Parts: sequence; C-alpha cells; structure tokens
Amino acid sequence: MSEPQRSGSSEAGGGGAKPAPSAATAAASYEAPSLQIRNLGKRFGANQVLSGVDLTIERGEFVGLMGPNGAGKSTLIKILDGVYTASEGEILLGGKRVSSLRRSPEVGFIHQDLGLVDDLSISENLRLGDKPMRRFGPILNQQAERKAAEKALARVGLYHAPTEPLLALAPGEKTLVAVARVLERGARLLFVDEATSNLAPHEAEVVVETLKDLAGRGATVIMVTHKLHETLSSAARVVALVDGRVNADRPIAGLDREALIALMAPVGAAGGGEEGLHRPAVERPAREHATKGELLLRLKDVYGGRAGPVSIELHAGEVLGLTGVAASGLHDVGLLAQGALPPERGVIELGRDKMRRALVPPFREAQGGFGPMSVRENLTMSSMNRWVGRGRLVAGGREIRACEEMVDRLSIKPPRLDEEYRVLSGGNKQKVVFGRALLREPDVYVLCEPTRGVDVATRAEIYRLIREIADSGAGVLVVSSDAEDIFAVSDVVGVVNESVGKLTPTKDLKLSDLEVLV
Amino acid sequence: MTTADSSVATGGTERSEQAAQSTRPKSSFRRFLRAKSVESSLTAVGFALIFAVYAVWLGSKFLNVEALLLNVHSNVPILILGLAVLVTLIGGQFDLSVAGMATLTTVLSIGLVSKQGLPFGLVLVICLAVGAFGGLVNGLVVERLGVNPFIATLGSGGVLAGIAQVYSGGTAVVPGPEGHQLPHWFTQMGTFGTKFPSAILWVAFALGMLGLYATLSGLRPASMAVNRWRVIRAVSLVVLVAILFVVFDLPKWIENTSWLLAIMLGIGLVMWTLLRLTTYGRYLKASGANREAATLAGVNVSREVIKAFVIGGLLAAIAGILLGASQGSAAPEIAAGFLLPAFAAAFLSTVIFSAGAFNVWGTILGGTVIVWVAQGLIIGGLPPTWSGVVNGTVLVVAVALSTVMRRVNR
Repeated sequence: MSEPQRSGSSEAGGGGAKPAPSAATAAASYEAPSLQIRNLGKRFGANQVLSGVDLTIERGEFVGLMGPNGAGKSTLIKILDGVYTASEGEILLGGKRVSSLRRSPEVGFIHQDLGLVDDLSISENLRLGDKPMRRFGPILNQQAERKAAEKALARVGLYHAPTEPLLALAPGEKTLVAVARVLERGARLLFVDEATSNLAPHEAEVVVETLKDLAGRGATVIMVTHKLHETLSSAARVVALVDGRVNADRPIAGLDREALIALMAPVGAAGGGEEGLHRPAVERPAREHATKGELLLRLKDVYGGRAGPVSIELHAGEVLGLTGVAASGLHDVGLLAQGALPPERGVIELGRDKMRRALVPPFREAQGGFGPMSVRENLTMSSMNRWVGRGRLVAGGREIRACEEMVDRLSIKPPRLDEEYRVLSGGNKQKVVFGRALLREPDVYVLCEPTRGVDVATRAEIYRLIREIADSGAGVLVVSSDAEDIFAVSDVVGVVNESVGKLTPTKDLKLSDLEVLV
Repeated sequence: MTTADSSVATGGTERSEQAAQSTRPKSSFRRFLRAKSVESSLTAVGFALIFAVYAVWLGSKFLNVEALLLNVHSNVPILILGLAVLVTLIGGQFDLSVAGMATLTTVLSIGLVSKQGLPFGLVLVICLAVGAFGGLVNGLVVERLGVNPFIATLGSGGVLAGIAQVYSGGTAVVPGPEGHQLPHWFTQMGTFGTKFPSAILWVAFALGMLGLYATLSGLRPASMAVNRWRVIRAVSLVVLVAILFVVFDLPKWIENTSWLLAIMLGIGLVMWTLLRLTTYGRYLKASGANREAATLAGVNVSREVIKAFVIGGLLAAIAGILLGASQGSAAPEIAAGFLLPAFAAAFLSTVIFSAGAFNVWGTILGGTVIVWVAQGLIIGGLPPTWSGVVNGTVLVVAVALSTVMRRVNR
C-alpha cells in the first residue's frame, strides 16, 4: 500500500495536483507520430462547415486551435475522432492515410465531458474500456491494475491512491485523470477539446502546465480553447479557424492578446477594428455610480451551501460583481441571492413586494436548458404566467411573438423557435438561457458564469447586454470565477472566499488588484 | 461545447434538404430519409406496410371495420392505462402501480354496488377518490421521501392489487341475480353494441379538419403567396377527406364507434390539451427533461410530479371503472396483465408521431396498432395465447428500429 504523497483534498479547489516535473514524470519521453491534414472539407447539406483545411503537426508540438463559436473547431475534431466522415480531403498519421484517428492507439481525445464515471475508483476509471488485467479466468489482477494506475497517475503529476473514488477529486484533477487514461492507452498525440473551460483558473493552469510538460517530452498536444491566455501561455503555435477555413497558422511568439483576437476576426474585418472583438475591459465605460436606485436585495450574514457569512446589497440599476474560486462557495452565493438555495441562517431582505428574480445558472449543460424541448419552450419556461390567456391555456400567438423578438435581439442561431435546445451550439445555448431570464422581466438578475465557454465576440455581446439590463433599472448580480468578467461589467465588486462582505467600487480597482485578491 | 459547431450546421441543413435533393440526385434518397419529418413517421409507415400485407393476405377477414373497432374497444382500459403511465413518464418518473389501481377500482365499482348496495353515483366518486388518493400517496412517497419511483410504485401496485384480493375474498365479484344490480346504462355503455351518437363525431371530425387547415397555415413556405397556399391547403384537405371516405370508408368507422371508444378519445383530447396547451404541461415536460434546470428556472418540480402521479392514479381509476362497465363483473386479478401493454403503448408514442418525445395521440395509436398487429396474426391462424409474444416483440422491434434509424442518420 503506497501512501499517497498528496492526499486527495476533497475541497475541490484542492492542491492535489501541481505541475510537478518530479522524478517520476521526468523519466518518460514520448514518440508522437506526425499528423497531416490535407484539404479537409465537410458539408452538411448545402452548408459548407469546413473547407480546404491544411495542417501539418509534428512531434512535440503544442498547438492552440482557436476560433469563434461555429467556426468549425468541433466539426474538425469530430471528423478526426470518426464521429463524422469528411466530405473531401485526407488525413495522414505518421505518413499513412487513415479515414479517422479513432482506431489509432497513438491518438487520444479528451473532451469537455471527460467520459469518466464518478462512482468508480480512479483505477477503475483508468481501465475503463481497456482490456482488464487478469490473474486467471475472469478474476482481475487488482494488484497489477493498481500499480499500473499509480504509474499512469504519476505521468500527469497526480499522487492519489488509485483506490480512491473519482468523486473525491477536484474537477482539474479529474481532467488530469482523463489525460492519464489516454496516455496509458499509448496515446502520444492528444486532442484536448475545451477540457479546461469548466475549470477554475488555477485548476485550468495546472492542467495546461501538465500538458505543456508532456509536449516538452515529445507528446503532441492540440488544444481547443476559448481562453486566450491559455493559448498565449502554453501553445507554441496557434491555428485560428474562421468560417471553416484556416485563417491563421503561425507561431505564438510575438503575439499578444489583441493580435490573437485579430487572428480570429472574420476575413475582411481583420486589423482588430471590429468593435465587438475588443475586450470591453479595455474600454470600460465609466458608469456613474451615483445614479444607483433603491435597495432591491440585501443579504445579511447569510449561510447556505458552502458559502457564509454573506453580506451584500444590491440596488436598482447597479451591477454587483462577485468573483472567487468555484470551490469557495462562489456559485452558492448566487443561488442564495436568487432564492434557489434556501439559506440555513441569516436574513434575506427583498426591496419590493412580489419581487421577481431570475437566474442564469453556472453550468449550462447540466442546469441550463431542456435538451429535447424547443427553443421556444426553453425561452418561456420562467415566464409562463405571462403567456397564459383565457381558460388557463397558453396563448400561442403572444408567446411566439415574444420569443421571435428575443431570438432577434440576442441573435440566437439558428433563428428557429421549434429547434431543439440540445442541437444548439454552446454560445447559443447560453443566449437562450439568458433570454429566458430576460423574458421573466425580473427586478433582480443573478448571472452565474455568464461567459463560460463562449467566444470573444459573444462575450462582448453579453457584457453589453448586462449593461443594458442594468441601465433599464434592474439590479444585476454577476457571479463569475473569471475576474476579468467581473472587472469588465461591475460597478461594485466583492471577492467570495466562503464569506463575502467587503464591496469595493470598481473604479477604485485595477484588474490586477482583483486577480491578486482572488 | 464539443457538440456545438457541427450541430448548428446539422440543424441548419434540414430546410435545405429538399432544395438539395434535385441538385444532388445521387444521395437524394438518403437525404430524404434524414429529413426530420420523414424520420419520425418511419415507424408509422412500417406499421402501414404490415397492415397492407395483412390486407392482401387476409382480405376482408382483416379489413373488417367492425372487427377492428371491436378489438380496440375491448382494449380501451389498456389504452387509458397507457395514458396513465404516459403522464408520469413525461415527468421523468415511473408508475408501475396503475394496473393494481385499475384492478382495485374495477372490483370496487362492481362490489360496492352489488355487495354494499351503495348508490352508483357515490361509488363512482369513491373510485375516483381512491385513484387520486393512491396517486397522491405514490407522489408523496417518491417526491417527499425520495424513494425510487420504480420501487415505490411496484410496492404500492402490489398493495392495491392486494386490497382488491382482500375485498373480494379472492373470488370474482359478480352482481347477484336478485337485489343490487349495476345500473343498466352502465353495463350498456360498456358493450360494443351501444354506439356513440355519430352526429357528435361528425362535428368533431369537421372541427378537426378545420383545425388542421388552420395549423397548416403556419407551414407556408416563405416563397409562396398567402392566397396560393390557402388554395393548396384547401385542395389537399379535400383530397384527404375524399381518401378517408372512399378508401378507408370513414362513415363506417364513425357509425361503429362505441361509447367506450368515444370516452377514450375524449380523455385523449383532455390529456392532449392539458399536456400541450397549459402551463402545467410545459412544467411537467421540463421536469422530466432536466430536473435541475427546471428547478433553477423556477418550476416547482416536486409539486408538478406529485400532480402527475395524481392524474395517473385518476386515469387508472377511470380505466378500472370502464373495465367494470365492459365486463359486468370483476375477477380479483382482472387488470394484472395490463401493465406491459400499457407501457408498450406509451413507449410506442415516442417513435410514432414525434421523434423521441412521449405524446398522447401516439400512445392511443400505438396501443391500437399493437392490438391490430396481433389480431391479424390471430386471424391468420396463430393461437390467441401467442398475443403476449407478439405484443412484446412489436414493442421492442419498433422502438429498436427507430432508434437505429436515428443513429444511422446522424
């Protein structure tokens, strides 16, 4: 029984994993095959999603694959993973022509939903889908499996006991387990598809550092991400897809944030002149704090979930931003403020009678929408009483018109009300959930992680929308683990570290101050 | 995010499918198969083919409107039980107690009159109350105590059937020759010979056609003028009505609709309205689709689910009462075998009308179709004892086929 060197801290912020270039990891070196993609294209009906994609990726490269929502990143990954078949072009792995990389043991895919099972142990997760190690007949050789698991975990800098349930791991550590699993299968060419987008910044950093370390030792990493700083800090080369074409393919050296954004600008709008593509942080509009209205919501020494004591005040026309790490009860503060989470202790005062509060929940896939239901049904779920007409029946006409306006206002695509929610892209799902909150016409908005997994342009749109609703007199509470979000939109900010009490006007702060506080 | 980009693309293509057909003749058939509307009606087409084969093979022995309707008539309680399980299925739950509930209310509806001599109106109220109360208990056990619905309703179904056993003393409850009799209208209502006034059905049919005409207006292709579309709609409806009259002999169906069948259609209409046009229907669907999201969107999931169990219990009670009407007596295990076909009907609804969603008319049609498939085989010489085998096979094959089709098309 080897004692785990670092215990699996169950507080999800956990320092269980560090980018550890320790003895165990440094030993290994990897031989990744080269990958060539030639003139790859994909059509869905009349819709050309990818065209003429040419890429050559050599052993040991760390490539950041970027592009706005709908640019074709996921389609490209799905073709390589064998989910779709390419309409034209070819894929060469180690010089040999293949139809997809699915059957190649040297290639591993790590998707956003990691494909791990919470209720199984780490070791069982590592073996999942692989041939079991047998003692004889159907009897498993658990000792050998455990040893192999320890070795596999060490490769990604994890030192948990393999018998621990996966449940006990922090989200970032789970991602590393997924990495360890594909390495264990012999993968040397790794596709990491948005696997960091649900992680808190410091956890994402650990994952990215580990991948960088692997790349340094001969593995190839191709990472799809919306996070600019991840690409800037880790990748050696960036490939930007725009409208299904390779818009840019160049070394990262010499690029800064603005230059990187410009690479993703639609053809013709290059040069960074497009207004929506700038980080609004740069041009933060100075909203007059003095105009804030009546008190809408006050939490006084409230405890609930992992958060407490929470003392905050929200006024009409004000954007209050809260940031911190997810593990510190950040989202619980949002749920407390909206009422979804009943407080265990403390007082929540509402400023108006029959006050309406609306929520954009932090996890879009699990909490956001109703997959098999239509965009229309998703949009109006929180405002049904507005659409009920005579005889308690839903009056279709008014509901449909309101939905059409909302689809138009948020430019939800495709702009069809009968489309199922689950087939929408990530950014559009987020917009639908936003639209649902807007249609409720609440006095208070609670927006959790409003920009998670959305591209730069949509992010700017969302910032603008937040300002708009505050200007219209509602109180907005933005809860985000991304300090930049908070800095960009808030009038007043607070840092959640289980407790939150001290609120500071944003104009007295710099972004770097905020990041330090977190 | 992994599903994102590409699915936008697939989503966007459906409209262009037809347009693309002419330009790319090579794969046009596959494209045609992929269209959503085609995909969701494939199962219906499959069943139509089976019936076509029956028609050729068995001729008028199978194509006998009266016999076909009689078959559905005698299965009305099962179809209503299908609707009972449908409600809870939409809410993401299971209710296995409906067969037990139907057994109990059958026994009660006959026993309370013939043994205790209670007035029939009161008996009906008691039966419905038992149904609602049983559903409420199910709902509370599942939602408030957090017991797995499968176990909770399996158990409560056993209890309900057990109470029926205890009450009846294990023997069939038969109204005695002297003394307390079931009301004449009640037993008459249960027979196939008592037809529903056809005038009402004709009016309903006309209203349905008008509704269809109105619904179709929303499907006008953008390129077409309003007036032109109006003409096209009118003409196609006239053609549809003509086909119904000439090929399917619609008047005969309507003349032969019994009270039980009409009641079932009425219940279907009420349920469809409830699930499709009310806030409750929307909330229940959301609760089933994503419980957590529904809660966060402000839906009181617990309450909606409890209501679903109550409605399920009520429908099961109605099914039991109607079973009593058609049988005139009640064996203590009368509805025990109804659970599988009821679930079969509800699950077939996911592959008959809309791809993947439970729905009311699909349940009624699905249950009907299973009955007819089995009927054809029995007319063709299969011993009636085989009907269980046929039912199970039809269910699994139909659902499996449509699932595979959807996967292949992705």
